[in-house]
Amino acid sequence: MMLRTISAAVLLGWLVLVPSRAASDKPVEITLPVETARLAESPLPGYALAIGLCSTCHSAEYVQYQPNSNRAYWRAATVKMQKVFGAPIPDAAIEPIADYLVKTYGMERTAVGSGSTAR
Amino acid sequence: MAAGAAAGGSVGRAATADGRVMLPFENGERELVAYPQKRPLIRLTARPPQLETPFSVFNEGVLTPNDAFFVRYHLSDIPTRIDPATFRLRVRGAVTTSLELSLEELKKLADPMEVVAVNQCSGNSRGHSTPRVPGGQSSHGAMGNARWTGIPLRTVLEKAGLGKDARQVTFDGLDRAPLPGTPDYIKALEIDHALDGEVMLAWAMNGEDLPMLNGYPLRLVVPGYYGTFWIKHVHDIEVLDTVYTGFWMATAYRVPDNPAKAVEPGTAPKKTVPISRYTIRSFITSVISGSTLPVGRERVVRGIAFDSGQGIREVAFSSDGGQTWRVAQLGTDLGRYSFREWRIGFTPAKAGTHVLMARALNRIGETQPLEPLWNPAGYLRNVVERVPVEVI
Repeated sequence: MMLRTISAAVLLGWLVLVPSRAASDKPVEITLPVETARLAESPLPGYALAIGLCSTCHSAEYVQYQPNSNRAYWRAATVKMQKVFGAPIPDAAIEPIADYLVKTYGMERTAVGSGSTAR
Repeated sequence: MAAGAAAGGSVGRAATADGRVMLPFENGERELVAYPQKRPLIRLTARPPQLETPFSVFNEGVLTPNDAFFVRYHLSDIPTRIDPATFRLRVRGAVTTSLELSLEELKKLADPMEVVAVNQCSGNSRGHSTPRVPGGQSSHGAMGNARWTGIPLRTVLEKAGLGKDARQVTFDGLDRAPLPGTPDYIKALEIDHALDGEVMLAWAMNGEDLPMLNGYPLRLVVPGYYGTFWIKHVHDIEVLDTVYTGFWMATAYRVPDNPAKAVEPGTAPKKTVPISRYTIRSFITSVISGSTLPVGRERVVRGIAFDSGQGIREVAFSSDGGQTWRVAQLGTDLGRYSFREWRIGFTPAKAGTHVLMARALNRIGETQPLEPLWNPAGYLRNVVERVPVEVI
């Protein structure tokens, strides 16, 4: 219906003059779909820290979809969240979180307990 | 359009995963999820939402439908309910008169203007970087082409009246970080750019109100410039007599400061500048990598090309991995900031693997490199893409 209106408008060459459809003055509201990604479970101490500290601001895909990276990368990423993005990560939590991330999603991961899609 | 795409009232539909897709790089498995006002798109992240357009959409037409247009937020406290009656755009800073405009007042300031322009994420195609780089791992679907309706930013700035010392203009949207210590997502344009008459405040795309996730009710449109500048839900404009030094300009979204804007793969640039204009690109859209084509049967190969607004002069096509090239026929010109369609007849002459390629040339002689350029953030990709097919 809308597409037909636009096609007709284009044919007649007066699209520029057609006001936008549905310039409604009613509030627009959306409901976002549920988040499905979860940080991979692990017995490492950094797991609980990551759940508590990383998940405040972003979902797990931010971690899960990164390319295979080394410990220096994951440590720097954690420090960046603390120093640049203002995450309340205690200094003492940096190493455990980086350890969990590199062993679960990075170059030090092992077959057991690794992030399910982090290959 | 999908029935759920009407604006006004509740348009939300919380969908569950409709399937999964595999992007063509390691660790490229993604969910397909339908967000409000959107068809199922490739979900890069849920919070904040980052959605990629499935590449097949670019073969449906030169304008990207609103319900397929990519979504990219930086901060996770995003607006999900906006009342257009109470929305206000503030203009302040180094101006004669601060403004607080309703949408109605804004729309009356000038006759509406329209432009067809590509919005491309700086990180579009980042997942194809070799070596890989951290960041949002997108394939080629973090881009789209739409007809934007709005008024020139210049009109609003002139109404406020610029001080003589105005140097930059910053833009802030309604999206926020959950934590107070996170740098707010604010971007800056040079004053001359802000006043060029092309940068616009847009309330509609493709003839409809902006979808919520694309910046309802108002967004900045910066033709030819990467999407990082196209602030969504823009509600605060500040004119500065200094250079803005916030994180998203001074630290993030930077490219190497050299003519190629590239460095040796795996190395760091000595000096960087803010990312700005698009590099020239082209894509084959009608044939996907790994397709099987029958020998001896003619087909039409189609695609798109775009650049930063110089305008596409020519697109060349190769079916032998770049050894020989033929000039394709260009489609309707929707303006120099738009995708430009192209097409060419192709009859596979013999069986075997063929590598199809497209290469665009613009009106100032810029073209695409045959080997990829590299930078640490994976920005600006514009190598000639390779589409291998099996002819049988």
